[in-house]
Amino acid sequence: MSRVVGIDLGTTNSLVACVTDAGPVVIRDKSGDALVPSVVSAAADGTMYVGREAERRLLTDAQRTVYSVKRFMGKSREDVQAEARHFPFRITGAPGASAGGGVVRIGLGDRELTPPEISALVLRELKHRAEAYFAAEGDIDPEVDRAVITVPAYFNDAQRTATRDAGRIAGLEVLRIINEPTAASLAYGLDKRHTGLIAVYDLGGGTFDISILRVEDGVFQVLSTNGDTHLGGDDIDVLLMDRVLADLGGTPAPEQVQGVRKAVIQAKWDLSEREETDVTVVAPAVVAQDSRPAVGAQAFSPAVVAQGSRPAYTKRITRADFESLIQPIVDRTLGPCRQALADAGLEPSQIDEVVLVGGSTRIPLVRRAVANLFGRTPHSEVNPDEVVALGAAVQADILVTGNRDMLLLDVTPLSLGIETMGGVMSKIILRNSTIPATGSEMFTSGVDNQTAVDIHVLQGERELVSDNRSLARFKLGGIPPMPAGTPRVQVQFQIDANGILSVTARELRTDLEQTIDVKPSYGLTDQEVERMLLESFEHAEADFAARLLIEARNEAENVIHATEKTLRSEDFAEIEARELQPGERTRIESVLGGLKMVLNSTDRETIQKWTQALNDATQHLAEVAMNRSVKAALSGKNVNAL
Amino acid sequence: MPSSSPHTLQVCRECGGGAPIDVHFCPQCTKILSLSRHGDYFEFFGLPRKLNLDLSDLEQRFRTLSRQFHPDFFYNATPAERLASLERSSYLNDGYRTLHQPISRMEYLLKIEGLGPKSPKEASRQVPPALLEEVFALNEELDEVRGMRAGGAAAEAWKARLQRARQPIDVKRIEHEAQLQELATRWDGLDAAAPDTERASALAALRDCFLERNYITNLLAGIERELETA
Repeated sequence: MSRVVGIDLGTTNSLVACVTDAGPVVIRDKSGDALVPSVVSAAADGTMYVGREAERRLLTDAQRTVYSVKRFMGKSREDVQAEARHFPFRITGAPGASAGGGVVRIGLGDRELTPPEISALVLRELKHRAEAYFAAEGDIDPEVDRAVITVPAYFNDAQRTATRDAGRIAGLEVLRIINEPTAASLAYGLDKRHTGLIAVYDLGGGTFDISILRVEDGVFQVLSTNGDTHLGGDDIDVLLMDRVLADLGGTPAPEQVQGVRKAVIQAKWDLSEREETDVTVVAPAVVAQDSRPAVGAQAFSPAVVAQGSRPAYTKRITRADFESLIQPIVDRTLGPCRQALADAGLEPSQIDEVVLVGGSTRIPLVRRAVANLFGRTPHSEVNPDEVVALGAAVQADILVTGNRDMLLLDVTPLSLGIETMGGVMSKIILRNSTIPATGSEMFTSGVDNQTAVDIHVLQGERELVSDNRSLARFKLGGIPPMPAGTPRVQVQFQIDANGILSVTARELRTDLEQTIDVKPSYGLTDQEVERMLLESFEHAEADFAARLLIEARNEAENVIHATEKTLRSEDFAEIEARELQPGERTRIESVLGGLKMVLNSTDRETIQKWTQALNDATQHLAEVAMNRSVKAALSGKNVNAL
Repeated sequence: MPSSSPHTLQVCRECGGGAPIDVHFCPQCTKILSLSRHGDYFEFFGLPRKLNLDLSDLEQRFRTLSRQFHPDFFYNATPAERLASLERSSYLNDGYRTLHQPISRMEYLLKIEGLGPKSPKEASRQVPPALLEEVFALNEELDEVRGMRAGGAAAEAWKARLQRARQPIDVKRIEHEAQLQELATRWDGLDAAAPDTERASALAALRDCFLERNYITNLLAGIERELETA
């Protein structure tokens, strides 16, 4: 039986967890690291790096490295135009809701990928990590093919769908999309079976959520949720970076900007522990060049940069400075908190427990703000980085085992509606409705024998269509020809337990099921997802093959280099005369020439065959040369000893 | 009336057996029943058609039913059962939301008793006869206030005028809330054996009062908007 996991696909870091006999655990790498940085980097040779190594490459090859892709999920190019300047990578994509859904595209090396495809690379890394863990545990079938993936509670339909698409592209069956704060509450609920009202305050790298829950009889019922999908630690980093970059002046290279980013993040972390710290930026002495040869290039070593770096800028920052700088960001979380309380019909004092989730809740100012608002000290017993993944694993376990001890009842964060006359949104399913939920609307024709109606579906709380999020446009077809106003087409909107919408329609007079042609405004069609899934497999294989080819070439180059060095050495003539067989040198030279000829081919096996041949041909020579150098060394030693 | 309706049975699509309308699982094969034929939200929750509900009892029923047919527990089931679970859970959630709020509960009861508004706009468009006098007076006041604003009057002056103008409507609102509560209690006190005429008159009074109350609420919301746009 293959395994299931829970995945926290974060803006900054991602984690994978599973349920064991001892309860839910986060799966770590060999060094004990639970976090996989949500960073993907494409080397010039085509090799794809994900996680820590990709994160390091931000400092050496920033323009081929993508991070914080979660901010781009379910977005169009226009949506992200304003913040594009903060990122070193290319941001492209067709404008508007045109063919291809207007989905933003991100340049990763030489390819243009959608956010779900890039997220899929992170998910694949997590899948591999989990599979390695299960294999090491001795599982007969360690394959991981199903997962629960978490999203911010305030994610809209397009963002949820993009996350589910990412899972599918990574080769995972997405059992369920669940909300991060709710997942966290599930992980907390494991320890004690309490009853009461809980507020979960989740401030992560890129998103903020607040959820109010009532827990009773093991049912975790979300009463209300609110948030901001564009508010998090990233915004704090940008504030600090803008300061340092202004001090530095000039036009820094992308790698230098990333160096500043790394330094301010470190300072931010320090200030959660200390009253003051220094922001220290090291200037990279070596910067990767885009003009590096595409084939045969040595992997760029970050160590080289570290050795050659020197402090270029240092600035003292106190916690008070930091707090006055970030106060506006912290304040922006309080409005959604109050709205969520109002929607739940509660006063802050009625909340029994407050739970902190997300790395940014380590900041003392955030903790104070939350404590002030609710009038009680918030909980942070479970590692705020890990609690969401643990909850996702619990939910995955519930789904596959049918365990009924706990049940999560979540809500839809945004109202769903349709465009009506005058560009006004008419709400069909209100925000904070428990999901799954349904709503329906009756449509008719405006002119005689009209057989189709256009429907525009929206999500949001505002009056005007233009202020809300366009989810999709539907063409409702196949209406039987009738006089105007006679058809009665009932359109049923279904939000499933993932918070994702589907639509069906029926003409009530004829009881005919209507055809619906869905065109997501900012998403991928099923066909596109299928194609990307296939491509990702091809690329995964191609990436792997490319890596093997590069390794074969590197090894061949090493052997060629060593052989030529020996052939060119001063005492080679003496070696040949004294130690080699007649014709041995000629044979070596001919094999050497052969290997050099095949070196640039793309046929790995041929390169390896010739490499082996040269190794064999030079084995005797190598032994002779080795003996001579050992003797020389020993004799040298004797001379010194005398 | 549910008791006199011929549709008091539903059919299990799994085994073809019959089941009462107000159960969720087939008495024969124990499978979750599809939502093809169902009663109303009250029946679904096993509650009488009453307007005064014990909310903690409603919440308890909601949790119990959620545990019975939430999609989480049907992940490994057949596609038909999964669909039934999705439909039944959606209906449960929609019903819970409707019955939990007194106003939507009343609106729903009127609808299933055949006294719902003919169109969604009916309540807000038509001035209820009982309110004609107050509405006429208010509209005159509103015109005056708009005139003051156009003439550049101080915000305090026209706001005070507006606050005074809404007072009679506020009084009406309080009267209506009390009256609605009284009528709801009257409806709840009728037993199944009560004559149809008595039931009909209780419902009609309830409906008229309900529409007036909605009209007043809309009027007050309009005034609030006027104050906010200042």
